[in-house]
Amino acid sequence: MSSISTEAKVGLFVLVALIILGYMSFRVGEGGFGLKKKGYPVQVVLDSATGLEKDASVQIAGVEVGRVEDISLRDGKALVTLRIIPEITLAKDAEATIKAYGILGDKYVDIAPGTPGEERIEAGGQIARTGRQADIDKLLSELGAIAGDVMEVTASLKNTVGSVEGEENIRAIIHNTRVITEDLGRIVRQNDAKLSLMVENLSEASVEMRRAFATLNSIVEKVDRGEGTIGQLVENKEAFDNLNQSLASLRNITDKINRGEGSIGKLVNDEDTVENLNASLQSLGKSMEGIDRFVSKSEQFRTFLGYRGEYLFDSGDGKSYLDLTIRPKEDYFYVLGLVTDPRGERTVTDSTTNGETTRTESWEKNELLFTAQIGKRFKDIALRGGVFESTGGVGVDYFALDDRLKLTFEAFDFGSDRNAHLKTYAEYRLLKHIYLSAGWDDVISNEGGESPFIGFAIRFEDEDLKYLLGSVPIPK
Amino acid sequence: MNRISAVIDRFGRAVLDNIEEMGKILILFLSVLMWMVRPPLKLRLIFKQMEFVGVKSIFVVVLTGTFTGMVMALQGYYGFRMFNAESLVGSTVALGMTRELGPVLTALMVTARAGSAMAAELGTMRVTEQIDALSVMAANPVKHLIVPRIIAGVVMLPALTIVSDFMGILGGYFVGVPILHINEGAFIKNITKMVDLGDIYNGLIKAAFFGLILSLVGCYKGFNTTGGAEGVGKATTEAVVLASVSILISDYFLTAIMF
Repeated sequence: MSSISTEAKVGLFVLVALIILGYMSFRVGEGGFGLKKKGYPVQVVLDSATGLEKDASVQIAGVEVGRVEDISLRDGKALVTLRIIPEITLAKDAEATIKAYGILGDKYVDIAPGTPGEERIEAGGQIARTGRQADIDKLLSELGAIAGDVMEVTASLKNTVGSVEGEENIRAIIHNTRVITEDLGRIVRQNDAKLSLMVENLSEASVEMRRAFATLNSIVEKVDRGEGTIGQLVENKEAFDNLNQSLASLRNITDKINRGEGSIGKLVNDEDTVENLNASLQSLGKSMEGIDRFVSKSEQFRTFLGYRGEYLFDSGDGKSYLDLTIRPKEDYFYVLGLVTDPRGERTVTDSTTNGETTRTESWEKNELLFTAQIGKRFKDIALRGGVFESTGGVGVDYFALDDRLKLTFEAFDFGSDRNAHLKTYAEYRLLKHIYLSAGWDDVISNEGGESPFIGFAIRFEDEDLKYLLGSVPIPK
Repeated sequence: MNRISAVIDRFGRAVLDNIEEMGKILILFLSVLMWMVRPPLKLRLIFKQMEFVGVKSIFVVVLTGTFTGMVMALQGYYGFRMFNAESLVGSTVALGMTRELGPVLTALMVTARAGSAMAAELGTMRVTEQIDALSVMAANPVKHLIVPRIIAGVVMLPALTIVSDFMGILGGYFVGVPILHINEGAFIKNITKMVDLGDIYNGLIKAAFFGLILSLVGCYKGFNTTGGAEGVGKATTEAVVLASVSILISDYFLTAIMF
């Protein structure tokens, strides 16, 4: 060891130190050092350079292609000078955006280099397009607002659904819906035969109709072929000659009329006659209007099909209505319908034996009741009369909220032996075809039939029925 | 009245003494500068001092640098783990070492090792009148004794510092990657990304200043020793304290100027 001179030791040490320094400089200076000399500057004007610092990274697709050289202010906006390594060319439509590594990370400038074919941005040029920066502060404040909204919703949900009462209500609603659907199923099952009969009839009718059309068609064809009287009239040459002759004599006559010859000629050339004729024409015009009205009738004509299920709380029964509402004009309508009443139809039989009158009341369960009413509407109020649940009665409807809400009062079954059946309820249109209703049935019953109820209805307009019925003559 | 004036008196004298000392150090520095540019340079003496200040301090500098880097990695890890940012440990160690700890710790170690030795050596020469003998032989003591030491300090401190920086980062790497299982790629990538050339060079400039301070103070204290063996001990102590304090204080101002 002693052979190594002082100078050698010092020289070796300094050399080692220089090698370490060179190595560290090389590792550290990879990006920055060469760039400052070689890279070219590009400017970009950003609305905000928040968090961006000098020497921040400039990246394309996550690969570093330069550094931020300078940040200054120009016209209230941030003017950022970037230094890009020479190998990278940016097109005129390049776009610069400030982005961050994660939420807490440093900011960097991300560049979309643009379309390769476009003209390139020269040194000292400017990137015109800037992307919208995802501002974390703005994001957080928006998130805060959203969270507030969600909290309000959940709070109100908690108040309505979360309470014991709300839970019970929901359970009741589900239960009621089940009862109603069960009823519906039962109705369909029970009336399966009737319904299929109806459908059968309809199909028979359509067959008839087809036959009628066929007959009509054959008549027209016959006419076309010159068969029968009309056919001959149309097709026969002789007939045509006759017609020609008739027309010629008609012309003779009209010529005479024109000249004022004969009685008709005098009539026509007379002023009074012209006036009379005018009046006749006017009345003809009126008649035409009437025809017009008749034609547009089928346009006004609307039919609605509806199903309504009601759940009676006291008896726990369901009551179902199937309605066909025919509305030939805005202000009046007909209602035809079927009703299933859990109590069925009541029949009273008086029998006299040994001078003693016994009255037996019997309820025919599961019997269909009928509804047939006529009604007229005066603005928001509609009056109805006719058959309610197979008995005579009257009803009043009051419409509110653009017809969304209907308040109804019905009175029927005015038998002498029992109080009239009064029914009052409100119906609200929840969705386009879905209605919810609630009310009180048989309000003043003396037979314990009174019950609050809630109901649910589907009602929609039936276009096919409309045209089917539109062809049926309806007295005006 | 007398007492108060005595206190003020003493305070004033202390201030004057300090200013006087600073002036003397400055004059010494100027004469060193003057003699430095005056050939011939005593290369052999310079190399001897370089060996003493630099080469012989390598071991202690490597030791302090390595362990400082290691403990920084360990402490930084506990902090950064809270943000899931463990990969920043490397750059923290590297920045800390290159900017502050490398130069300052190296300077303090060299002050303790070489600065004190300079003061003791020159002090002994002073009290045994060897310096007077040099003057008598028409050999300027500043040129022969002080200039080589100062050159050695200014040149060797940056060299030692770069070794210290490197060993510190290496120590941080060995604690971070194999022991704390920080991702190696992210660790090194963050070092190269965060550390600038400026950080390293400014640290080295600082180190050169510290080298100047510690050798100048050591030489001044030894050169102006009085009072025999006791005076030599006193001069050594004063040299180490003054140099260390000056290094730490000047570090702040140098940092403020450079970064």
